[in-house]
Amino acid sequence: MSVAEMPALEVRGLVKHYPGVKALDGVDLVVRQHEVLGLAGENGAGKSTLLKALVGLVTPDAGEIYVRGEAVKLRSVVEAANHGIGMVFQEQSLVPNLTAAENILLGSEGASVRRGLYRWDVMRRLAQEQLDKIGSKIDPLARTDSLSFADRQMVEIAKVLRIEQRSQHPPVIILDEPTSVLESKEIDTLFAQIRRLREFASVVFVSHRLDEVLDVCDRVTVLRSGQSVGEVAAAGAVPRELHRMMIGSTGSDDHYHENAASVVGSEQPRLSVRGLSGKSFRGIDLDVAAGEIVSIVGVHGSGREDVCRALFGAEPATAGEIRMDGRKIDLRSTRAACAAGIGYVPAERKIEGMVGPMSVADNMTLTKQKARCAGPFVAPAKQASLVDRWIERLSIRTPTRDTAIQRLSGGNQQKVVLARWLVGGDIKLLLLDHPTRGLDIGARSEVYRLMRELAASGVATVLLADSLEEAIGMADRILVMNDGRVVTEVACPAGGKPSPLDLVKEMV
Amino acid sequence: MRITPRPAVALLSLTLAAAALAGCSEEAAGDKTATDAGGCKPADVKLVGQVRNESNPYEASWLAGGDAFAKSVGLTQERLTYGGDSTKQQEQISQILAKGDKCLVLNVLPNGDSDTAPIVKGADKAGAYLVTQWNKPADLKPADYKTWVSHITYNGVESGQQIGDALATAIGGSGGIIALQGVLDTAAAKDRFAGLQASLKKNPGVTLLDQQAANFSRAEALTVTKTLLTKHGDKVKAIWAANDDMALGALEALQQAGLSGKVAVAGIDAVPDAVKAVNDGTMTATVSSDGTWQGGIGLAIGFCVATGKLKVADIAAANRAFFAKQFLVTKANAADFSQPKTTASDFECGNVFNRVAGPLT
Amino acid sequence: MFAALSPQFRSLGNAQNIMDAAAVLAVVTCGITFVLMMGSIDLSSAGVMGASALTVSLLVANNRNDNDLGLLGIAVAVLLGCAFGCLSGLALVLLKVPSFMATLGVSAIGLGVATLMFAGVQPNITDAMLKGWAIDRFLGLSYLTWIAVACILVGWLIQRYTRLGRYAYAIGGAEEVLALSGVKVKPYKVAVFALAGAFYGLGGVMVTSQLGAGLVQAGNGYDFSAITAAVVGGTLLTGGRGGVLHSAVGVLLVMVLTNGLVQVGVSPYWQGGVEGLIVVAAVAAAVIPQRRRNQVVK
Repeated sequence: MSVAEMPALEVRGLVKHYPGVKALDGVDLVVRQHEVLGLAGENGAGKSTLLKALVGLVTPDAGEIYVRGEAVKLRSVVEAANHGIGMVFQEQSLVPNLTAAENILLGSEGASVRRGLYRWDVMRRLAQEQLDKIGSKIDPLARTDSLSFADRQMVEIAKVLRIEQRSQHPPVIILDEPTSVLESKEIDTLFAQIRRLREFASVVFVSHRLDEVLDVCDRVTVLRSGQSVGEVAAAGAVPRELHRMMIGSTGSDDHYHENAASVVGSEQPRLSVRGLSGKSFRGIDLDVAAGEIVSIVGVHGSGREDVCRALFGAEPATAGEIRMDGRKIDLRSTRAACAAGIGYVPAERKIEGMVGPMSVADNMTLTKQKARCAGPFVAPAKQASLVDRWIERLSIRTPTRDTAIQRLSGGNQQKVVLARWLVGGDIKLLLLDHPTRGLDIGARSEVYRLMRELAASGVATVLLADSLEEAIGMADRILVMNDGRVVTEVACPAGGKPSPLDLVKEMV
Repeated sequence: MRITPRPAVALLSLTLAAAALAGCSEEAAGDKTATDAGGCKPADVKLVGQVRNESNPYEASWLAGGDAFAKSVGLTQERLTYGGDSTKQQEQISQILAKGDKCLVLNVLPNGDSDTAPIVKGADKAGAYLVTQWNKPADLKPADYKTWVSHITYNGVESGQQIGDALATAIGGSGGIIALQGVLDTAAAKDRFAGLQASLKKNPGVTLLDQQAANFSRAEALTVTKTLLTKHGDKVKAIWAANDDMALGALEALQQAGLSGKVAVAGIDAVPDAVKAVNDGTMTATVSSDGTWQGGIGLAIGFCVATGKLKVADIAAANRAFFAKQFLVTKANAADFSQPKTTASDFECGNVFNRVAGPLT
Repeated sequence: MFAALSPQFRSLGNAQNIMDAAAVLAVVTCGITFVLMMGSIDLSSAGVMGASALTVSLLVANNRNDNDLGLLGIAVAVLLGCAFGCLSGLALVLLKVPSFMATLGVSAIGLGVATLMFAGVQPNITDAMLKGWAIDRFLGLSYLTWIAVACILVGWLIQRYTRLGRYAYAIGGAEEVLALSGVKVKPYKVAVFALAGAFYGLGGVMVTSQLGAGLVQAGNGYDFSAITAAVVGGTLLTGGRGGVLHSAVGVLLVMVLTNGLVQVGVSPYWQGGVEGLIVVAAVAAAVIPQRRRNQVVK
């Protein structure tokens, strides 16, 4: 095989153990020259560990990495770059207070810094060259934190392309979930970019949106439980086929577990809201019965997030009343809401939903102190048995209950956050603000099942869904909000679902 | 009383017995060396001088005075510095007391008023002869203790007034002055400023243009003086400073403003640089408490009592807590103060109370 | 406001006075700004300045010994400051001591060294050049003030045009990103502390020039005043924002404030409190744009 035909990058039998977890269990991977390879797998399948190994952030326990047929050891980001491998990280990895040009050239300034002294004109020129390669119109001397998400991503790609300077070969560019923060128009631009990159590089593309993966990639490799379980040519493949490979069996069509939908009683509503008004919403009336799932839909700025927060007392309401089981509750206090049996799962999981460095157990019992305490003291045994019960019931994948929650995958984090409201056993109403955001298809499915179970046990749910399909699939009833008001209410029973188009008409 | 053999009572009586035994043994030891009577041999006496730090000239001269006295009686002084840290001062005292020397003499500069009581109690319990200087709470009196021989301090009102008067004379009895205060919540700053006010009353031609706190600091005095000079211009005829460090800072400010020699400056403490400035005529006056004497006298008083040449019971009440004499240093006598020196006769047991200027009230 | 209350405040003489009084603080703040930009903190200035003040006063013509090294003595004192900074930096990156503790320790070491050199007798300087810095004027401002202006300029150039300055800024912005980009961060951290130490060393020399004597307490209070000035100027304690010019403005604001309170005649018993209030208000005003819902302030 001539050098020109050798794979740009090949991985054979890579193994990586973490305490309690086998993250990689003999992964094989081939990235050909000038191709876009998709990498698919559920959360926890080993995608991120594999990527980290490829850029020298993780040292594998066994296995080989070959660059153009040559076995290499990648011990640091610099070594990986020297072999022409670079990665655009999922959490954007730019220094916000530097200029775009500095970020692009960071660590490989070349001629733009002589004896420690900056030559801004050279720097601007070199950065401009990089940006020109990807056809970006960003001003190289703009401060990075003044750029949009999409522009910053361009800067990251321009930065990664600098590794061309270090190796003589076309580089291998890894894109880890690049679309998760982009809007659809920006995604189109990115894809055009990726197709362009193929001209002079190989690309590894990772996304949990399978349609995207199939759209942009030439070939897709599927990981499951730390192993490569299959390879699909993208042309002609369908998402369901990939999904089946990812979870090891064909996903049931009943994605939203509609046949598990509970029968809603017609007695007094559990939650009753009348004339609720606030900064961005007016005169909201809303009833939710025990066991019912009501979804509020609306475009960005419709005020639905604020309504949801107001129900929990986290956003000031200026007028109106909220009753739980007929009893009026204080509008301005999250404590009162908690006491009335209302639980809130915020959208910004990492900011508002969890305390990263604290353990799974502590996060789970954060609000329900009573459940784990004896007097003012934490009772470890009481906490432990309670937490273990819920870890098992929700099949949360964690090495131990004492693991810091930030080390879990997104889906498992979300389950812990949900469990927080369940451990007390007295939850009556759950407010779910985008509970499946950022989760992969398997984790989503589990969250849906959990929602059904809770509804069956009589919990009322208000859902702000991630997509219209999710709202339609999960809800028994849908309220459409537009410009701070509820404009219509659509019944949404199993077997009689409305079409998304019907809802969109009302939303805009 | 009927004795009930309950555990608590048994424990109590045991403790009492132990205490009584301990008391007995202490007395027995006391008999041997005659603590109260002060029958220590001169060679057995241990001399300890404790100040905040050696990094300012005044406290350095204090320790030098202690050394001079110790040398004169064939001993050495143990020098302790606690860096202005009250906790550290207490630790040092309890460590030295814990060694159990029976002929211990302490000359201590307590960090603040509140630090004096624990030192006194510790020394009293260990039977160490203690002289304290400058700081003590008003209701804590040496007369109530057996081995706390004396407390020496200086009348700040008097010194503040002395330099105020000296400035008034220097500017011919009329003109504006500015005052640099010390750390406002200290007794020294308050007393000295009260002295200035008394002096102003006496010299109606002199007006106080402005008063600012410069916290006893040379650097702060420099800045504040420069600001006040721009504010009041040539109305300023004299600068009254509550200590010499600030006076020296004011001198620098005058120099930088091109006013050297045109404005009279006075301070308190007689640090070497100030004495030199007075001698050179750039500064009008300062007041000396005689740091070397302070360092020697505390040890001398304790030594005399320890060796039995003085009996605590015989010391006049007025000498147990007193204002010591301080000296106004002007150009006329500055040469006498230019070198820190001690006079051996000051420390003879008959003369140790010669500098009492008045009882501490 | 002060200008309205006191005619003297507006005078040219007072403007000169404020500039002169700000000189030392400006140089120290210049140094500390680099450390703050990096997201670390530096409390070593008091000790470093004391050690450098004693060093310079014993090396130039003085009343304690026969040395007369002139400029060389000043250079040694600045280098000593640099060495102390290095020590802080090394403790931080090698021993992983948090900068707060490392610099506090170095400050204590500095004070200890200064006390040893002090040895009971205050060294007064007789070196005409060094004394002249505080007295001689050029265009109405003392040489010290011009030195401070030069320091700010040099500081700004370092911040803008050197890798050291830009990386200090970047470390405060996102240290882990630098590591991901293959930059070895540690040498830059040490260098930043060393740079700051050199500024403190120069500050100690300047205090010595002003006071005409080497004082152990030369740097008393400068640690916190410099941090205050930097923060008032808009440098964040969390790093990544602000800069030398911001800090220079902060220094002037703080000096105008203290000077103004004296000029207007606020009683010294009230000044401390009033000053503190104004500083807190100024800082609060500066961070309003960053305040967001549910943001935690530590």
